[in-house]
Amino acid sequence: MTAPGLSVGADSGLVRPPRQLVRWLIVLVGALAAGGSVRLALASNQLGEPGLQAALVNWITLPYIVAGVIAWSRRPDSRFGPLMVTAGFAMFLSCLQWSSASVPYTLGLLFDLLPAALFLHLFLAFPSGRLKLRLERWVVGAAYAAAMGLQLLKMVLGAGESRNVLGVVKEYGAAQTLEDVQLLALSALSVAGIGVLAIRRRGSGRPLRRSVTVLVDSFGLGLVMIAALLVAGAFESPAFETIRRATFFVIGVAPVAFLIGLLSARLSRSALGDLLVQLRAEPAPVDLSDALARALRDPSLRLAYWLPQFGSWADVDGAPTELPATGSGRATTLIERDGAPIAALVHDASLVDEPQLLDAVSAAAAIALENGRLHAELRARLEELRGSRERVIEAGQEERQRLERNLHDGAQQRLIALSLELGLLEDRLEGDPDSKRRLDQARREIGLSLEELRDVARGIHPAVVSAHGLAVALESLAARAPVPVRLSVNLEDRLPERVELAAYYVVSESLVNIAKHARATVASVDVARMDGLLVIEVVDDGLGGADTERGTGLRGLADRVEAIGGRLRIWTPHRGGTCVRAEMPCA
Amino acid sequence: MRVAIAEDSVLLREGLARLLGDAGFDVVAQCANADELRLKVNSYPLDVAVVDIRLPPTHKDEGLVAALEIRARHPSVGVLVLSQYMELGLAMKLLSDSAEGVGYLLKDRISEVKDFVAAVRRVGAGGSVIDPIIVSTLLSRRRSDDPLAALSPRERQVLELMASGSSNQGIADALVITLRAAEKHVSSVFGKLGIPSTRSESRRVLAVLMFLRS
Repeated sequence: MTAPGLSVGADSGLVRPPRQLVRWLIVLVGALAAGGSVRLALASNQLGEPGLQAALVNWITLPYIVAGVIAWSRRPDSRFGPLMVTAGFAMFLSCLQWSSASVPYTLGLLFDLLPAALFLHLFLAFPSGRLKLRLERWVVGAAYAAAMGLQLLKMVLGAGESRNVLGVVKEYGAAQTLEDVQLLALSALSVAGIGVLAIRRRGSGRPLRRSVTVLVDSFGLGLVMIAALLVAGAFESPAFETIRRATFFVIGVAPVAFLIGLLSARLSRSALGDLLVQLRAEPAPVDLSDALARALRDPSLRLAYWLPQFGSWADVDGAPTELPATGSGRATTLIERDGAPIAALVHDASLVDEPQLLDAVSAAAAIALENGRLHAELRARLEELRGSRERVIEAGQEERQRLERNLHDGAQQRLIALSLELGLLEDRLEGDPDSKRRLDQARREIGLSLEELRDVARGIHPAVVSAHGLAVALESLAARAPVPVRLSVNLEDRLPERVELAAYYVVSESLVNIAKHARATVASVDVARMDGLLVIEVVDDGLGGADTERGTGLRGLADRVEAIGGRLRIWTPHRGGTCVRAEMPCA
Repeated sequence: MRVAIAEDSVLLREGLARLLGDAGFDVVAQCANADELRLKVNSYPLDVAVVDIRLPPTHKDEGLVAALEIRARHPSVGVLVLSQYMELGLAMKLLSDSAEGVGYLLKDRISEVKDFVAAVRRVGAGGSVIDPIIVSTLLSRRRSDDPLAALSPRERQVLELMASGSSNQGIADALVITLRAAEKHVSSVFGKLGIPSTRSESRRVLAVLMFLRS
């Protein structure tokens, strides 16, 4: 165990249940012991009502052994099952004192009070089979010392009948006094056990779901009765036999309650299954605490996240929060990754009794948290990547735009001005046809240069798109295409420039491809806005089977479209024409 | 004829002013941007404005917007838009209301001094001028079933001239035929293409362009 109230998930190994053969063997031995006890009782000449005595003992022996085996196989991680089996056999051992032979009698007498100590141990160790508080360990340890140690001492002093082979000292008076002390001590320890139970349960602020535990607690009554029985024994009360029967009856019923409590309040597989299904949901729930609370059946559960950069805990909204202090009735289960905490389940302290359930739930939560973290990281990376691709394309675009502007304002304007100058000069040379002809020739050369420059500039950046919008730009594209193009543009307003540019490139590249490869007789270009998307479809009736991998044209287009969050798809069945469809967000 | 010039390049602006001044125009305003042009158009009686389509501050569509605005507010002022690019879409946009008093020419054309001066005059007088590049783009456009195939070479020439805004007299002059012959060709083209004929020459330009574009 780590510090009280703080358990760390995922530290318990898987405990295997006992093998079936072992289980049946235990039950068989138990049955033989029961049969033996009946025979002993019937053969005894000292027992009044031997049948009833044997029945009372077996009322306890058998249920403890059977329930213990069931608990052991169903909840192998809990030591409670083996403890119940032990209690059953201890009860049988105490029956050996019915024997007329001295050795079994001595043995039986030695174990006479062991069941009382074991019952105390059982009540305090429910449901894990382990004693958690130091006080509990003290009480139970003292009970064993009283039940076994004092018993041995008492027997050495000659307690019991002459058949007690250990009775070498024969100080009967001392033995009697010791027995009184022993019985009163055990009685007091039983009462102390009830106290411990009460303190522990009150401290835990038990959630509603623990109704089964309430049932089990009610068998704390058993401890009261044991205490009363022991006191009655010490004072040789005439009511002893009645109290004994009632006590045995109650103690014999307890295993059923233990078993119910152990099986139902423990790890609920269906709740855990629901949890896993919920945690797998897409998108993963933002706040896991509801799902976790349902799985643990603890409505008070909350989840705290560790913020390493602040060195503090925070709730799902990021508000700072504190983990509960030890002994506050709340307990914390840390969820760790690579040895460092990532989150903590803050839950009812009583859940610490169910380490298997806590482990399973915190493991599931750890997976979900890790998934969430990985998703968030992946999304961040993708966003970063998309952003950088967008920036690269945008930077290229800006550079192209700048170049085109420079060409337009610089070389093109100057050439036009020069051409105009030549034109004016030409006008004045009416009387010199030769010079006029040469000037005209020069002017034509300039005209050709301007034409080439225009093509270069348009290739660098289609200024008409930025200046006049997609609809105007597509008009010329369609008109210049070597294949008849049916153009349909349904746009009311201008769109963001990068969307218009990407759309323009999609259409122009597609039309170039159609001209080069498709051998189409007709093509269509459809541009429309649909639900915040700009949808472009370029379809031809050509050969199809276009190679979408070869060449940088289509890949570059896809880059451009994807960089602004869009999607480019191409259908190009063999001999079935080609359809290029781009969808881009333009809201 | 009174003319205003809107052109942001000083070199070209002054060259244009000189050209038009030499040709006998009264250059009343030389503007470096669209707002200046608006101001001048509002202040002076003008016949025609020669406007660069790409004007400051953004060098996008300021010139076009100003041109359309002038056509709408001052129907008596013709607008000749100059551009370094010939865009069919822009031609259609400019002509969409009316082709009357509208011209759209490649900027290079200003060095063809005589033709350019004639174009400015035509627009100033309420006629239309459409750059031959636009017309040839439309004519070279491939169609599934080409109605232009039915035209004779001479009729095709007439169609081209009509599309670029020539009047019947202009067609007759260009082809060196009589006015009557030109009129005959025109009505023959309309008949073959199934375009409803119209007496207005500027409306005729639009009808022909629309036909060629469809």
